[in-house]
Amino acid sequence: MDVVVADRLQFAFTIMFHYLFPIGTMGLAPFVAWYTIKSLRNNDEDAARAARFWTKIFAVNFAIGVVSGIPMEFQFGTNWAAFSQRTGGVIGQPLAMEGVYAFFLESVFLGILLYGKRVVSPKLFAASSVCVWFGAWLSGYFITATDAWMQHPVGYAVAANGRMEMTNLWAVLSSGYAVWQFLHVMCGAMVAGGFIVAGIGAYYLLARRDESHGREFVQAGSIVALIFAMMTIFPTGDRNSADVTRYQPVKLAAMEGLFQTTHGAPLAIIGMPDVQQRRLIDPIIVPDVLSFLAYGNFNANVDGLNAYATELWPPVELTYYAYHIMVGLGTIFVALAGIAVLLLLWRRHIFRSRWMLWLLMLVMPFPYIANEAGWVTTEVGRQPWIVYGIMKTAQATSANVNAGETLFTLIGFAGMYFILGVLFLVLVLREIGLGPAHESEGPVHSIAGVS
Amino acid sequence: MSVVAFVVIAFMLTAYVMLDGYDLGVAAIAPFVAKSDEERAAAVASIGPFWNGNEVWLIAAGGALFALFPQAYASSFSGFYLPLMVVLWLLMFRGIAMELRGHLQSELWHSFWDAAFTGSSVLLIVVFGVALGNLVRGLPLDANGYFQGTFAYLLNPYALVVGVFAIAALSLHGATWLGWAARGPIAARGATLAHRLWWPVLALYLVVSGMTFLVRGMPGGASGLLVMPIVSLAALAACWFFARSGAPRRAFAASSVFVASLVATAAWTMFPYLLPSYPAGHGGLSIYAAAPSPVALISALVVTIVGIAIVILYATFVLGKMLPKMRAGE
Repeated sequence: MDVVVADRLQFAFTIMFHYLFPIGTMGLAPFVAWYTIKSLRNNDEDAARAARFWTKIFAVNFAIGVVSGIPMEFQFGTNWAAFSQRTGGVIGQPLAMEGVYAFFLESVFLGILLYGKRVVSPKLFAASSVCVWFGAWLSGYFITATDAWMQHPVGYAVAANGRMEMTNLWAVLSSGYAVWQFLHVMCGAMVAGGFIVAGIGAYYLLARRDESHGREFVQAGSIVALIFAMMTIFPTGDRNSADVTRYQPVKLAAMEGLFQTTHGAPLAIIGMPDVQQRRLIDPIIVPDVLSFLAYGNFNANVDGLNAYATELWPPVELTYYAYHIMVGLGTIFVALAGIAVLLLLWRRHIFRSRWMLWLLMLVMPFPYIANEAGWVTTEVGRQPWIVYGIMKTAQATSANVNAGETLFTLIGFAGMYFILGVLFLVLVLREIGLGPAHESEGPVHSIAGVS
Repeated sequence: MSVVAFVVIAFMLTAYVMLDGYDLGVAAIAPFVAKSDEERAAAVASIGPFWNGNEVWLIAAGGALFALFPQAYASSFSGFYLPLMVVLWLLMFRGIAMELRGHLQSELWHSFWDAAFTGSSVLLIVVFGVALGNLVRGLPLDANGYFQGTFAYLLNPYALVVGVFAIAALSLHGATWLGWAARGPIAARGATLAHRLWWPVLALYLVVSGMTFLVRGMPGGASGLLVMPIVSLAALAACWFFARSGAPRRAFAASSVFVASLVATAAWTMFPYLLPSYPAGHGGLSIYAAAPSPVALISALVVTIVGIAIVILYATFVLGKMLPKMRAGE
């Protein structure tokens, strides 16, 4: 096996597994803060139990996120030494800032939330929940800004020895690419958070237990899911597409499966790209719409893949399918959450419509798939570059680590993550099984809430 | 500037060893202080809320190394590919063991995970000790700072003795933690064990110090480095004194200073090399070669130092609020 393929497979596998848990922390943190503050303001016992329930589920996500996050940071050095050497002067900084500014914030104040209300004043307790929320999102910001720099490098200079040096940290952290990508990623996480809350609430209503909590969760979760599902499409998704159109037109062509440069380019809703024949098989298209989405003009010229040398193409099929899965699911999420909110507004009908509750419960895995597919689109679509236009992925690996070693450790990670995944399910299902009504005030004796 | 950056990295690693050190130490001594199933659960519970936060220091230190010394980060991490992966897996396995044990009410299940927890923690301590020993001793490196030796090379007598010393020192550290933070019989046994471990720790400290002089030679010039053994020995003596006089909080504090002083001594010995080559004193990957440009370094330093200062402020504030009540058992 090629060493680049082995390194990419290992990175893809470990990052996609890891990212499942930040989705949970970033998406649930606002709910934790909301229920915590609500419980303290009105001395509301139900909200207090809801806050403890979601804090524990948040904590399991956080713990596994930390454990699976350590290998991510190590891998830049272990498997991508050439990349780290050349770009560490730039991307090392946002990564270090994530640890120092965001990660500690999250972990220290999560400690307070877990240990319980009686230890500190109500004000500090409420502030802790907001700090945890802020820490989770800030963490996402630094990571997304790092990735955005690899997509669209700014604020750097190339030194005599070929290494890239930071010249303007603010430019890196505040680039439009980073800001809009971050907002899109956060909206995606909030859609997941909303559907998780609504889905678990739906489970309680279907199982006819913890019903007051169930109603509350279905209501809050559906509303949040609807708001953020719409925002993943507009304005954030739209702005991300605009950035791709402007800075990475070949990625856009691969995402849309557009092989030929076209005036009035159509939008492919469904179809299978055939790279050999350079066409879409069995497409369903909407004429002229891609031109409009990309340039605001139904007649605009959109570059197809044929405008670029094939060695500059990203893997077309993977980029195309991942993008279409993300967009398709995103559209379905708006429809589903929209119907749920309508049923809610229509005399709280949703709490009695079992088919809708079933749908809300079963939809839970899909926001995860949509989030991961979005990242696959942007990362695979960036190929063959590791830093867009500057450094090729093929030149980025460690000189002294060979494909066999990486394959060995990849299999090791697969085994370890299998156990980690089982542990996560056991811990979360146990918490859901106990339910929010079971929550009491006592301190939690471990991350997972088990003494 | 490179010197400040070196100090920042050393500080973060020291914080990691001091903090994760006590929970690793508790795992190492758990079979000796906790006799029954409930006592072992109590030992795990005393570190349960903290281990994850302590590991954040390792992540932050890794990130800071990446930002401040990308060259050293790249060559050391890829040069020690397999050993590092083993460390990662052990760290994960240890977390899994801790969190899984409580999920079945079965003594057999508990014993298995307790053994896994202790085993992986002891291995981690040894690996960290051996790594530190090799860093102090120096490594065969090529011009770019890539490790040229084999795995067996890392298991030289000096590094192995440092590994054994690490077990002793962190066991002492964990014992003083139990003496302070735990309740019931395991607290008393922790305090007793701290007593018993004190002499071996002192003996191994002297052996390691002596061997370090043999491996490294006397520090040249007017070296302030010779202050460090005085700090270490004073902290160790204070630990003995406080442990005897029934002041568990101070005993733990003294033990923390002792552990921190050891890591700081090692870092100072290596200075100005991030990866000293063997035989020691003959070059290596120095902080001047490994650092990025001054502009990048200064911005990274300011950002990192301000961040750490903020962390220390709120972490102290939070612990100051929480610890008294946790001690009171509320």
